[in-house]
Amino acid sequence: MTTFKTKTTTIGLAIGVAMATLAGPVRADINAPLAALGPPPIPSDNKQTPEKIELGKMLFFDTRLSGDASVACSTCHEPKQGWGFSGDISRGYPGTVHWRNSQTIVNSAYYGKLFWAGSAKSLEAQAPSAAKGGVAGNLEDDIGTARLAFIPEYRKRFKAVFGDEYPRLNNAWRAIASFERSMVQRDTPFDKYMNGDKTALSEEAVRGKGLFEGKANCIECHNGALFSDQKFYNLGVPRAERWLDDGLAQITFRFENYAKGVTQKMYREVKDDAGYYFRTKLDQDKGKFRTPSLRYTLYTAPYMHNGTFFDLQEVVEFYNAGGGENEFSASKTKLIKPLGLSEGEIADLVAFLESLSGDEIKVDTPKLPPYAALPNPVK
Amino acid sequence: MLRCFPKSMRLGGGLNIALALAIAMSFTLPSSNTLADEAGPVEAIKVDAKKAALGKRLFFDKRLSGDSSQSCATCHIPEKGFSDGLALSKAYPGSEGFRNTPTLINTALKASWFHDGRLGTNLNDVTRESLTEDYVMNMDMRIMQERIKQDPVYIQMFKDAGWSEPSNGSVRNAIPEYLKTLTSRGSPFDKGTMSAAAKRGSKVFQANNCASCHSGNRFTDDKPHNTAVPDNPDIWSDPLRHHTYVAFGMFMGIENIFNIRRDVGADVRSHKVDGTDVGKFMTPTLRELKYTAPYMHNGTIKTLADVVAFYNNGGGNDANKDKAMKPLGMSVADQADLVAYLESLSGDPLTSAEHVWKDKIPANYTAIADWLNTPN
Repeated sequence: MTTFKTKTTTIGLAIGVAMATLAGPVRADINAPLAALGPPPIPSDNKQTPEKIELGKMLFFDTRLSGDASVACSTCHEPKQGWGFSGDISRGYPGTVHWRNSQTIVNSAYYGKLFWAGSAKSLEAQAPSAAKGGVAGNLEDDIGTARLAFIPEYRKRFKAVFGDEYPRLNNAWRAIASFERSMVQRDTPFDKYMNGDKTALSEEAVRGKGLFEGKANCIECHNGALFSDQKFYNLGVPRAERWLDDGLAQITFRFENYAKGVTQKMYREVKDDAGYYFRTKLDQDKGKFRTPSLRYTLYTAPYMHNGTFFDLQEVVEFYNAGGGENEFSASKTKLIKPLGLSEGEIADLVAFLESLSGDEIKVDTPKLPPYAALPNPVK
Repeated sequence: MLRCFPKSMRLGGGLNIALALAIAMSFTLPSSNTLADEAGPVEAIKVDAKKAALGKRLFFDKRLSGDSSQSCATCHIPEKGFSDGLALSKAYPGSEGFRNTPTLINTALKASWFHDGRLGTNLNDVTRESLTEDYVMNMDMRIMQERIKQDPVYIQMFKDAGWSEPSNGSVRNAIPEYLKTLTSRGSPFDKGTMSAAAKRGSKVFQANNCASCHSGNRFTDDKPHNTAVPDNPDIWSDPLRHHTYVAFGMFMGIENIFNIRRDVGADVRSHKVDGTDVGKFMTPTLRELKYTAPYMHNGTIKTLADVVAFYNNGGGNDANKDKAMKPLGMSVADQADLVAYLESLSGDPLTSAEHVWKDKIPANYTAIADWLNTPN
């Protein structure tokens, strides 16, 4: 069912885009209603199996899938930090710092595009992009492939799961994607409420839901079962403070602009993260980022693409003030305006937001298999 | 014009003066196409002093590796003749090397680089290969460029060198310019101060036709040969080394890589169907051997005496062994003299500030003040 819903949304989006193109900036009010979360869509070419998920989990925690074998996926997507990272900006590969906030992997299965600017179209594509990025994993394909071949347990498991004689790195990313697709949360107080348990939400949270769908109009973008329309907006989130006083962050800032390919003029002058612009190279997309899901946010502070806000209250107050100003304010969405929420209403809204997270998801950290010499060659 | 120094000035005490003049004034010493049997001093190369100084700092800067853990000098150590004293080199963290680190002294004069000779273009490419290769420095050069631009010392040095600002391209020119300054000098062979044993060894060298491969001023023909040096079993028993070789082999297109248990060497240049290039390695220079033990492409021979004994036995066993490799029948005394001669080919250590960046290089980066108003 959810797969079908996702498809409907995609078609709806396509129609919306077509309408916008034909009729100018007319906005059809087609916000998907809030709903309990269904099962995640599973790509038909990468089915879930328990063995694949287990292998993906091991690989997710394995530092050998990074350049200097020191960082794993789990280094920046820490189970104890909401499967994200504790700092405003993710830590990055040794000798570097990242330039954006690390997002939780929980419920990442439902996104059509991954990363804040939507640069990966699937979890299968997101994993290598992170593992191989210069300020993330800095891995090269050949060394990654070679390392997996020297871990007998992986040889056995890749053979069983994928039929690989020697582990193919591409299948490592597929296994990791499968593990991430298993990391969904569908039993939050909100989901229970929507499934008929009217005691699952506090009175404050129920009031907050009303504000969310009404006066505060959060649902304009944070809609559907995922609480995200998966579109891109500039809210005027201020630039990361770090760039002003952290040499390492200044290096990464320039690197990202250089590597993503901007004009000489922009490389010289830009002082903020242009986000979705890097995908489209359209001025109107500067400073836009994908609407994140609001699920599991109880555990994923700090918030926004650059981790500017440290608690949910701060986030709500930012919206209540009508967002902020940044270098790309020309592209700031018209949908965001001062809300006039009272302190009590802000508290209600925060209570509702908190109901979108269930228990903290914990897993046993897998025991990682050791390297061993290759068996004698086949003549 | 100062282009022509009298030959005597290039020898003995005059050498340093001539070199200093050549470097300071960016003039070159005359070249003299020396034949194999009349080897002489390795001639200093014309360099741009400012570019070379910049290249020197870059060479010793750990921030030029992906995780900022090692510099070029981590494996090319000046005190060890710009090699590292290990049988098999270190590698980038997470890997271990599968070959012996070669000296960089006189490297600018080589015809091709690495033990397999896989790069035959120039040091610009060698620099790029070494910086970016995942088991060497694993550096994304786009990050490197921005790291360098964060260091005010570099910004000034690039300007002084005539480059408007640091870039990948200028790094790949500056490091080779520095490497050109690493020229052998002051060896007993060059100064004419060889011992009696070394002089006798010189005759042994000629009599046994060592110069058929070890020819010219650098004592190398810059060609690959198969002398059947025994395999180094440590490559295959240590998963960290073996997987590094596998990664290398996949990149180079070596067939059946998971079932190979030998270093194919210069075969990667030709991929000959008959496999006759398997096991060939580039003839190494015989200069600076005093500093660069252990020997051979895989560091399997610890001393020069053992190297000489290896050749005296006609090399090792391999189907494709070079026909020139035959038992030599040298006496024990001849072998000792030959070792003395080889030792006389090592010069002054290149360990002073002329060749080594002695100032502290910061490991971290200061923030650009007033970043908002400073163009990137």
